[in-house]
Amino acid sequence: MTIMPPRKHGDASDGVVGGRQTRFEGSLKVTGAATYALEYPVENVAHAVLVQSTIPAGRVLNVNAETARAAPGVLLVLTPEDDLGFTVASDWGGNRPENQPYYPLPRHVQFNGQPIVAIVAENREQAFEAAKLVSITYEEAPHVASLDDPNAGEGKLMGNLVFNWGDAEAALAAAPVQIEGTYSTPREYHVAMEPHGLTVKWDGDQITVWEPSQWSHGMARTYSEWFDIPYENVRLISPFIGGGFGSKGAALAHGAVAAFAARKLGRPVKLALTRPQNFTNYGGRAATRQTIRLGATEDGILQAIVHRGASETSTYADWPEQTGAATPILYKVENFSSEHRVVPVNTVTPGALRGPGKNPSSFGIESAMEELAYKLGMDPLELRLKNYADHDYQSGKPWSTRRLREALTEGAEAFGWSRRSHAPRSMRDGRTLIGWGIGCGTFPVLQAPSEALIRVLANGRVEVVSGAIDMGQGTYTVLAQTAAEVFGIPVDQVEVHLGDSRLPGSAIAGGSMLAGSILGAVHKAATAARDELIGLALNDENSPLRDTGANTLTFSEGRIAVPRGEGPSLSLPELMAALGRDEIETRRNTLPDGASAQEHHQAWTTMAKVQGPTMGEYSMHSWCAHFAEVRVDEDFGTVRVSRIVSAFDCGRLYNPRMVESQWRGGIIMGIGQALLEEGLVDMRNGRTVNNNMGDYLVPTNADVPDIQVISVGVPDYGASALGGKGVGEVGIVGVAPAIANAVFHATGKRVRDLPITLEKLI
Amino acid sequence: MTRTIHLSLDINGRRHELDVEPRVTLLDALREHLALTGTKKGCDQGQCGACTCHVDGKRVLSCLTLAAQVEGREITTIEGITGENGDLHPVQAAFIEHDAFQCGYCTPGQIMSAVACIREGHAGSDEEIREYMSGNLCRCGAYNSIVAAVREAAQATVKEKMEVA
Ligand code: FES
Ligand code: FES
Repeated sequence: MTIMPPRKHGDASDGVVGGRQTRFEGSLKVTGAATYALEYPVENVAHAVLVQSTIPAGRVLNVNAETARAAPGVLLVLTPEDDLGFTVASDWGGNRPENQPYYPLPRHVQFNGQPIVAIVAENREQAFEAAKLVSITYEEAPHVASLDDPNAGEGKLMGNLVFNWGDAEAALAAAPVQIEGTYSTPREYHVAMEPHGLTVKWDGDQITVWEPSQWSHGMARTYSEWFDIPYENVRLISPFIGGGFGSKGAALAHGAVAAFAARKLGRPVKLALTRPQNFTNYGGRAATRQTIRLGATEDGILQAIVHRGASETSTYADWPEQTGAATPILYKVENFSSEHRVVPVNTVTPGALRGPGKNPSSFGIESAMEELAYKLGMDPLELRLKNYADHDYQSGKPWSTRRLREALTEGAEAFGWSRRSHAPRSMRDGRTLIGWGIGCGTFPVLQAPSEALIRVLANGRVEVVSGAIDMGQGTYTVLAQTAAEVFGIPVDQVEVHLGDSRLPGSAIAGGSMLAGSILGAVHKAATAARDELIGLALNDENSPLRDTGANTLTFSEGRIAVPRGEGPSLSLPELMAALGRDEIETRRNTLPDGASAQEHHQAWTTMAKVQGPTMGEYSMHSWCAHFAEVRVDEDFGTVRVSRIVSAFDCGRLYNPRMVESQWRGGIIMGIGQALLEEGLVDMRNGRTVNNNMGDYLVPTNADVPDIQVISVGVPDYGASALGGKGVGEVGIVGVAPAIANAVFHATGKRVRDLPITLEKLI
Repeated sequence: MTRTIHLSLDINGRRHELDVEPRVTLLDALREHLALTGTKKGCDQGQCGACTCHVDGKRVLSCLTLAAQVEGREITTIEGITGENGDLHPVQAAFIEHDAFQCGYCTPGQIMSAVACIREGHAGSDEEIREYMSGNLCRCGAYNSIVAAVREAAQATVKEKMEVA
């Protein structure tokens, strides 16, 4: 899809990397013209709906679908009886088991809400009506409903999540000041405003899938593997995504079912999950529990951290929500021990939700640090600065850049922290208790290769082409800014094409790795195109710039000229006309030179080439410090967040306007996590009770105060080609403990299990 | 049940004829039958506000409204609020200027609510805007900017009215 920029734009300087350019695709979004996956006009489409299991574990004995089959408009009913012929696709890392069958409509039930039957009808209303007529008989098996189930057990230790250095137990035992706390977080859900769903169409053995996607290439690969067709035969289209937050990175069972049905019927099929189905067809953040013990000297120097954590997973896959992810790197500590276990329960496999791992991890360590501060009688800000990590004690490597100290001090300054009185319940406004708290956050810099194509057209327009996606982070905008900067043209002379697996490969929009990766590729391709233009302009016999004697040219304010020269200057269309060229096209990637075709495919369709934060010489992360103020009604225990100031080190910001929006978005999700969000499980049958937006509460406009965000970062050219570190994930990390700490300061009550609901305070 | 009924709907000042089942909601009529996909479906159960449209100038949740209920009424969707010459409505322009969205999926509903909120006289203070815009969820968390955009558009509307008077 071609996105044209809005006509209105501010300063010319907004249009370069680092400028505050308004959202490139903004006018499409405010007029309703942006087309999301389910909105493509596809002729003759049939509609599919799913019937889900109502038991948490067992076997389907029989599906009685006779009346459903005979219902008006019904075209197809799929049940566990039908062999859909799929084999298991590769995992994220690109590893694929041999010939293992995959049953998107299984006989073996592993969680309540698992898709069992699909109905396809002429229209959606008919499909829903018929779905009600299906009756399924089960043989039930014993189940484990959740992490809190008495039968859940201790789970299994994840060997790759055991970290030890120094002698943590001995140092802890010897420490004069010790605290211990157990912290837990419930199941949390993405609740992207656009529900999952897709439209699928086959043309022979070519398939087109319109589906919201954080990773068009990775999901296209999954479809090709399921159907055992060449990767090139799949086209996944996703130019706009109505929010993902980690949930839209993988093709899911409902996609397999819709694609199968479309092939079987020989006509396009649309399958839109209902909102309740969005709570069970893919996993949210796993519930977690962790115990932290800290030992310190009397003047507050940390001696040891001992961490033991667990998270729930499904009975058929291990997904660790790593409670120990932030614990080892926030503070200076010579003696450390951490373990994480996974506990299988009857749920859909949990997944990545904003700030995976780091988020619950920071709730633990940042709550514990404040508990230590109160035990010591020390200002929690002072305690954090006192234990500032001068390098990464886990990897032993120096930080690439770490401006967490500045985040803490500048955040404190903006918040007015020095006016705080230390004792709990010591700040109030009538019957309202006021509390202030701090929470720090971090997220690693992940690096991945990407590819991009640049096309300079005869009319002087420049096209940026990439399979990367934009779910609201600002990909369209920052890529337009990058090209505009390289060619010295206004942003509205740039077109950006994204969100299509047929376009050049790109990193996933996840783990905060997309911007750093794709900007590098676009910058490289654009620079190459510019160099090619320079070469032609200086050497082509028809070029007015040929005999200037210059060995390079400048691109600025829409003109191409000799540096500091008096000579002629040309606009891009004038130069293209002089050269007699219709277009100049360059394609570049950030893989090592000479990478094979196989490596290319692997780079865009799996995570095999993703580099972690300590794979080079440095330890690279984004950092933040949140300062929260809460007002608690003393009589009713209601908590309102009245003020938040957050300071971030995310390196260089490619577009501060967009970055600030993402930071605020993360912080608001953190407010929800702290006070509202909790997936409730019926222990009798493993059902997600509050599987809708009226019962699973996310923050509304009235729940959110003005949020002040501050950037304290400096460019980090080790982290990415253009100096940025990740932005999207880190914003939520540390918010919940900041609020929990503020609630303690206000009320004197330490709530260690999220969310902080009023019954925990009265 | 396969009976269809004929409806004639007045949407954005244009008459649309369609044959649908009586149980089709206004939201599905717009999105599935009339290719007016600017109105979004976030929950289909009246909880999120993404489907907000105007019926006779008042905001309604189109997922909780049957298409058959609104025959003879004046329906306005996000596609119907831009000026004849394509100029953005002041609320739309303010949303871009304040970056009052990210993914954009809640945005048409937010804007339709905002236009009505201002018209209802409920945009007098930030507090009031927050309250009267709380039926529209935004999971991307653009709330601060939404308040700023509504405030600015409301002030512009007041100014315009004063100039006219
Ligand atoms: S779709 Fe109508 S309120 Fe959510
Ligand atoms: S902009 Fe994404 S939900 Fe509001």
